[in-house]
This record gives sequence, C-alpha cells and structure tokens, in this order.
Amino acid sequence: MREIYQQPLFGIFLTLVVFYLTQIISRKWKFVLCNPVLLSVVTIICFLIFFKIDFEDYNIGGQYLGFLLGPVVVSLGVLFYEKYEQIKENIIPFTSAVFIGGVLSILSVCSIAVVLNASEPVLRSLAPKSVTTPIALEIVKSIDGIPYIAAGMVIAVGIFGNAFGPSILRSLGITDKKAIGAALGTAAHGIGTARALEEGKLSGAYGGLAMCINGLLTAIITPYIIKLFL
Amino acid sequence: MFKGVLYIFLFLMLGELIVYLVNIPIAGNIFGMISIFIALRLKVIKLHEVKTTSDLFIKYMVLFFVPYGVGLMTLFDILKIHWLAIVASTIISTVLTLYITGIILQKFKKNA
Repeated sequence: MREIYQQPLFGIFLTLVVFYLTQIISRKWKFVLCNPVLLSVVTIICFLIFFKIDFEDYNIGGQYLGFLLGPVVVSLGVLFYEKYEQIKENIIPFTSAVFIGGVLSILSVCSIAVVLNASEPVLRSLAPKSVTTPIALEIVKSIDGIPYIAAGMVIAVGIFGNAFGPSILRSLGITDKKAIGAALGTAAHGIGTARALEEGKLSGAYGGLAMCINGLLTAIITPYIIKLFL
Repeated sequence: MFKGVLYIFLFLMLGELIVYLVNIPIAGNIFGMISIFIALRLKVIKLHEVKTTSDLFIKYMVLFFVPYGVGLMTLFDILKIHWLAIVASTIISTVLTLYITGIILQKFKKNA
C-alpha cells in the first residue's frame, strides 16, 4: 500500500476529493465552522491518523498544491490594483488605519505571547497571524518560524473574524460600513473579507484592499519588528 | 488565459530575481505582487490580460493551503505546551486590531 500513498498523486488526489466534499457541506450548512478549509484540514488529519499514514508521505503530493501559493501572491497584486482603483480618493485615511492596525497586530500578538512564555519558534510563527495565508507563509519562512503553526493560526483568526468580527465591532461602537470592511480585511484577511462582502459591496472592496495592504506591509516590516522581541 | 498564467509566472520570476539581487529577508513573490501592481498602474500590462487567471488563483487559494493546515498534525506536542499562549495572544490581538483599524477609519470619516 505504501507504493500508492508515496506517490505525489496520493496527497493531491486526497486533498482534491476532500476539498470537493467539504465545499458541498459548507454550501448546505451555512454554519461558520463548516468552512471548507477547516473541514478539509480536520478530515485529512483524521484520515491520515486512522490509516496510519505519515504527514511526510501525504506532503509528497501536498507540496505541489502549496507551490501554487506563489502565483496566488502575485495574483493578489492584481486584486490590489483593482481595489486600489475603486478606493483611490480615500486612500490616505484608509492606508493610515490599515497601517496602524497592522503594526499593532504584530506588536500585540508578540508581546502577549512573550508574557505567556511562548517559545521562540511559536512567537515567530504567530507574528503574521492577521495576513492572508500565502503571504503569512512566506513571512514565516523568511523569519524561521513554523509554517504549519502559522497556517493553522491564520485560518483560525480568519474564521474568528468571520464569525464574530461584525458583532464585536458593533458592540464597540463601530457602525460605518467602510470601517467594518477595513477592520475585517486588516485583522482577518480573506476569510474576514468574505464576511465583509456579506455586509455589502463597499465593505467588501474595503476589506479586499485592507487585506492586500496589510499583507504587503506585514511582509516588509515583520522581519524587523520580530527582532525587538528576541 | 494562457497569457495570464505566463504573466503571473513572469512576475513571480522577476520577484525572485529582485530578492536574489538585493538580498533582503522578504519573499520573492511579495516583490512579484508589488511589481505586477506597478506594471498595471503604469499600463505596461492591461487588467483584462491577467484578471481571469488571477481571479482563478485567488478563488482556489484556500485549496492550496490545506496541506499546510494538515501539517499541524506533526506539531501536537508543541501545541499541547503552548496552546494557552497561542490562543490568548491571538484572540486578544485580533480583537484589538479589529477595533483600532475600525475606529481610526470611522473617526477620519467624521472629521472629513
């Protein structure tokens, strides 16, 4: 049996099948934990543990899918351009808000993790937790964190923002559609932006641009900020 | 469609090349992202030439990071030790980021 699952085909095929099934489930049940990524990850982990297959064997194929995150990051540049054209006239207050939010995100997650005695690799892996996964993974690789922790936490943050973001913001007195969009995109990247889109097209555009700007900003400054904590 | 794929890989390559030449701790594809943005702004390439492809990549990006999420299964030991620090720092920091970003933009709007 090993011959089968040590081929790249196994990891790719398993991921495609599970992802397809979880998409159907998430369309049926609109519940936030039925997010296709979360369901796929949990299902595949259970499958591998049940059949006693090593992650390394699965990842022989899995890494091919991961490679495609490179072109995804470049594609975000195209999205960035599109959204930029939509929000041009508002760009200065917008960029300042995203910039301050983004810097604060890195500083606060690192400070709290240090206070709670997180180990150095964990700290490095948490720093980019608010940015979109493909960018977060690149950041974590360049600062020697653990990509798997980063991926897990980024997805968790996205789901948290998607589920609770708008109600947290409203309870804190933030009702402006654009502000809600920007906050969701900055703090909870693409999964948060998906929720911003439900609030309206305008929120969605602000969320998308916030996600791009914060991704870019975090990629550039994280290697320098992380030095303050080590 | 093919042209779009070609352009995206071209900018990916360009980004890697920049990082190699400049030698900074930032990933090549980030520079790919910046350079395709600049190329679009300067009208070196046109939006319609890349949009179909880039939308497709973005639509399926969640699929591409599933294997990284699965990688968490190799880290149960680390998670067992550090789960409190990870969960607490992430939640507090996320709420703070949401609030600060939102409140700044909302204040700006009122003053404008």
